[in-house]
Amino acid sequence: MSGMLYGGDEIGALVFDPGHHSLRVGYAQEDTPKAEIPAVVGVAPDDTPKIEPETKPDESNVSSTAPAWKYYIDTTFLHTPRPSMDLHSYMKDGMIENWDLFEKIVDYSYDKIIQSESQYHPVLFSECPWNLRHKREKLTEIMFEKYKVPAFFLVKNAALAAFANGRATALVIDSGATHTSAVPVLDGYVITNAVVKSPLGGDYLILKAREMLEHMGIDLTPAALIASKEVVRDKDKPKYMKKKLSFQPTNSWMAYMIKKTVQDFQQNVIQVSESPFDERIAAGFPTIQHEFPTGYRQDFGPERFKLAEVLFDHAMLGAGHIAATSAGMCDVDIRPALYSSVVLTGGNSLVQGFSDRLSRDLSSRTPGSLRLKMIAANGTVERRFGSWVGGSILASIGTFQQMWMSMQEYQEAGKAQIDRKCP
Amino acid sequence: MADVRDIMELEHPASQEVTRESIIGSDKQRKRPPTTTKTQKRPEGMHREVFALLYNDNKDVSPLFPSDTGHGYKQTKIKLGMRKPRKWKWVPFTNPARTDGAVFHHWRRPSDEPKEYPFAKFNKKVDICTYTDAEYQQHLRVDGWTKDETDHMMQLAQRFDLRFILMADRYDTEKFPKRSVEDIKDRYYKICGIMSKLRGEKKIYTYDVDHEKRRKEQLKKLYDRTQEQIEEEQFLLLELKKIEARKKERERKTQDLQKLISQADSQSETPRKTDKKLPKKKIANPSRPSRVDTAHILQAVETAGIKFPDYKNSGVSLRSQRMKLPANVGQKKSKGIEQMLQEIGLELNPIPTEEICQNFNELRSDMVLLMEIKSALSTCEFELQSLRHQYEALNPGKTLTIPPQLISNLDLENKAGTGEIIDVVGSPSTPTS
Ligand SMILES: Nc1ncnc2c1ncn2[C@@H]1O[C@H](COP(=O)(O)OP(=O)(O)O)[C@@H](O)[C@H]1O
Repeated sequence: MSGMLYGGDEIGALVFDPGHHSLRVGYAQEDTPKAEIPAVVGVAPDDTPKIEPETKPDESNVSSTAPAWKYYIDTTFLHTPRPSMDLHSYMKDGMIENWDLFEKIVDYSYDKIIQSESQYHPVLFSECPWNLRHKREKLTEIMFEKYKVPAFFLVKNAALAAFANGRATALVIDSGATHTSAVPVLDGYVITNAVVKSPLGGDYLILKAREMLEHMGIDLTPAALIASKEVVRDKDKPKYMKKKLSFQPTNSWMAYMIKKTVQDFQQNVIQVSESPFDERIAAGFPTIQHEFPTGYRQDFGPERFKLAEVLFDHAMLGAGHIAATSAGMCDVDIRPALYSSVVLTGGNSLVQGFSDRLSRDLSSRTPGSLRLKMIAANGTVERRFGSWVGGSILASIGTFQQMWMSMQEYQEAGKAQIDRKCP
Repeated sequence: MADVRDIMELEHPASQEVTRESIIGSDKQRKRPPTTTKTQKRPEGMHREVFALLYNDNKDVSPLFPSDTGHGYKQTKIKLGMRKPRKWKWVPFTNPARTDGAVFHHWRRPSDEPKEYPFAKFNKKVDICTYTDAEYQQHLRVDGWTKDETDHMMQLAQRFDLRFILMADRYDTEKFPKRSVEDIKDRYYKICGIMSKLRGEKKIYTYDVDHEKRRKEQLKKLYDRTQEQIEEEQFLLLELKKIEARKKERERKTQDLQKLISQADSQSETPRKTDKKLPKKKIANPSRPSRVDTAHILQAVETAGIKFPDYKNSGVSLRSQRMKLPANVGQKKSKGIEQMLQEIGLELNPIPTEEICQNFNELRSDMVLLMEIKSALSTCEFELQSLRHQYEALNPGKTLTIPPQLISNLDLENKAGTGEIIDVVGSPSTPTS
C-alpha cells in the first residue's frame, strides 16, 4: 500500500505523439515509445488481380477498408520502390489534416505495434499548441467512436516536453521538422497567446542542404535504388549500378527518399557555429567526410556551418529571437520563471551546436537582471521524444487518472467538452 | 496473535508475507556469540604497527558505522523462493475523484483489500466564490461588464484554479472585449469582496489595480533596459559609492580636528587629567564660552592617553605583560614616551611590582595625553597665528592683539620648540595623533 503512493499508477494507457516527421506510439510509463512511424503514408492503386486472395499474402501492411487502394506504412514498406506509389503526409502546420490517412496509421499502430485492442487502453494524445478546436473535437470523436477507447486526453506537446524535463513552468523551444516554436508553459498550461513559431525547422535545413549538394553536382540517388557500388577515392566519380526497375518511381517517392539521403548528410555533417557565421573561423574547424549512397565521398568544411546558419541568422525567425519574443509577450511577473527554465526539445535541436548557439543568442537578449538557464536533455532519445516521454510520465501519474475524459462523459456530453476537459 | 484473530473471526493470512527478514533471515537467529576477549599476544620483537595489521577476527569491524544491522552480507545464502510470491492481478477500480464513475484497470495484489483510490485525496479544488442571479442583479452589476462575461470569467477562474494569467490568455475575445490580467483580477476580487461582505465575513480582500498596473509597468521598464542603460546605471552607482567614501573621509578628518581643538580647549581649563573628575558643576560653567560641548571634551580627554588592556580576567599572566604598550600605540608615541622617561630619569622597564605597574602605566598614559595636547595646542596656535596674518593682510595697518589668555604659556616657556612642533604638524588638517 505505501509502495503505491510513490505517485505512479499504471493503467495500461497509450501515448500518441504525432509530428510532421513521425508519429511516436507506446505504452505510458515506459521510457521510450514502442515505435516511431514516419508521418507519411504510401498510397498505391490496388491493381493486383483479385484471384485467390487467401493464398497470396496481402502486400499492404494495413487492412485497407477501401479495396481500390493499398496503403504502405512504416520505414521498411516506404523505402521500397513500388509502381505508382505516391507518398502523402497527413500533417499540415503541426495539425492532423488528412484524417483518412491518419486513421490508417492509427490502425497500423494498434495492429502491429501495440498488438492489442483499442477498447482496453485509455489514450493520451499530444497536439501542437495552436491546434484548432474543430480538429480537437474531430480527434476526440474518432478515438471514441471508431476506436472505442475507454478514456481519452489531449495535451499540448510543449507542456509534455516541459514535464519530461521536470518542469511545470518553462519556456519550451521545440525545433521539429517543419517549424521551430517557442511556447511558454505556466503550471502545465500553455499560454496560447504568447506562442511564437517560425517555419525554420529540420525540413528547411534539409531543403537548403539539398540545394547546395545539387548545386555542387553531387548525385543524390537514394540507397533504395542502388544495386551495387564500388569504392572510389575522394571526389572521384562514383561507380555504381542502379537497380533494374520495370517502372519509374513516383516523384513524391523520389523526393522523400532524396530527403532521407540528405537527412543522413545533415545529421552527419551540419553543425551550428557558436557565434554568427564567419568564413575565416569556420575554415579553422576540421572538415568532415561524408559518403553518399552512391559511394561518392567528399570532405565538407565551412559549408557545414554556413548551412546551419539559416536556423539562427534571421532577424525575425531565428530561434533566439522567437524565444525572446515569446517571453516578452508574457506577463512580466512570470518572465523570470520562464527565463530560468528554457527547455529545448525536438529532433532538429540535435543538430550539432544548436543548444550552445541558442543559449548564446538568447542570453544576449535576456534582460540584465534575469537569470537564464537552458535545460536540454543530453540523450538523443529524450530530446527527439521529449513530448512523448512527458506524455508517458503524465499518463502514469496517480493523480492524473481523474483527468481523463471517459467514454461515459463522452456519451453524456459529447465531443465539445474536450475544450473544457483538456485546456 | 492467532488467538485474537480467531476470536475476532478474522481470516488467517493465506501465506506469510515476503518480508526482508524472511529473505535475508532475521538477525535474532544470528546473535553473535559473546566476543571472547582472547587477545593474541604480540610476538617479541614485532612492531606494534605490524602486529596490528595481522588478521584478527575481533578487529574485523569496519571503521564505518554499521547501517545494516541485518548482517546481510555475512550470511552467504539468501533464502529465495522459500515462500510463495504474492499474486498481482489486473483489476478494475473506480476513482472517487472522478464524477462519472468511470472504471479503469490497474495492477493490484488481490491480497490488498480494495480501498479508496489512494490518489483521490490529492484532488483539491480552489474555492471560487459564487453568486446567484438575484445577487448579481442586486449587488454585482457594474458598467463595462455584462453578466455573461462575468459568468465566463468565473468559469475560467474555476477551470484554471484562479491562475489569472491563464484566464486572461484563454479569455473568449470573440464574444467579449480583451481584458488584461489586472482587469480580471480586479473584477474577481471586487465580486468576492462584495459577496463576502453580504455573507457577513470579516476578512475582505481588496485588490489595488492601479498599484498593480504601476508595479508591472515599472517591472517592464526594468526588464526592457538596454545593455548600455544597465552599464550606465552600474557606472553611476560606482561613482555614488566613491563620492560617499570621500564624504566620509572628509567628515572623519574634521571630526579629528574638532576633537583636538576641544582637547586643547579643555587643556586651558583642566590642565591636569585628574581634573576631569572634578564635580560637574565646574565643567558646566566654564570661564569662557567654549565652542564644543563639555561632555564632548570630557570624552575626548578620556579617550586620549593609552588604553591598557585589562588583564584581570584572562588567566595567569606575567605582571610585566601589563606594562607592555598596547599595539595601537604608534612608534612616534612610544619614542616620545621613551624620551620623556629619560628626561625625568626613570627606567624604561622598572621592576613590575603591583604598585609600580599601575603608576607607571598611568604615568605613560598621561605622557601620551600631554603629547597630544601639546600638538593640538600648537595646531591651534598655528591657526591663531595664520588667522592673525590673514586679518592683517585683509586690514593693512591694523594688528590683531590676541588676548593673553589665548596665548599659551607653553609658547613662552619653550619658544624654540614651537616652530619645530608646527613643522611636525604641517597642515592643521592632519593632526599628529
Ligand atoms: N540526430 C539528429 N541530428 C540532426 N537532426 C535530427 C536528428 N534527429 C532528428 N533530426 C531532425 O529532426 C527533425 C524531426 O524532429 P521532430 O521533433 O521529430 O519533428 P516533429 O515533432 O515535427 O515530428 C527532422 O527534420 C530530422 O531531420
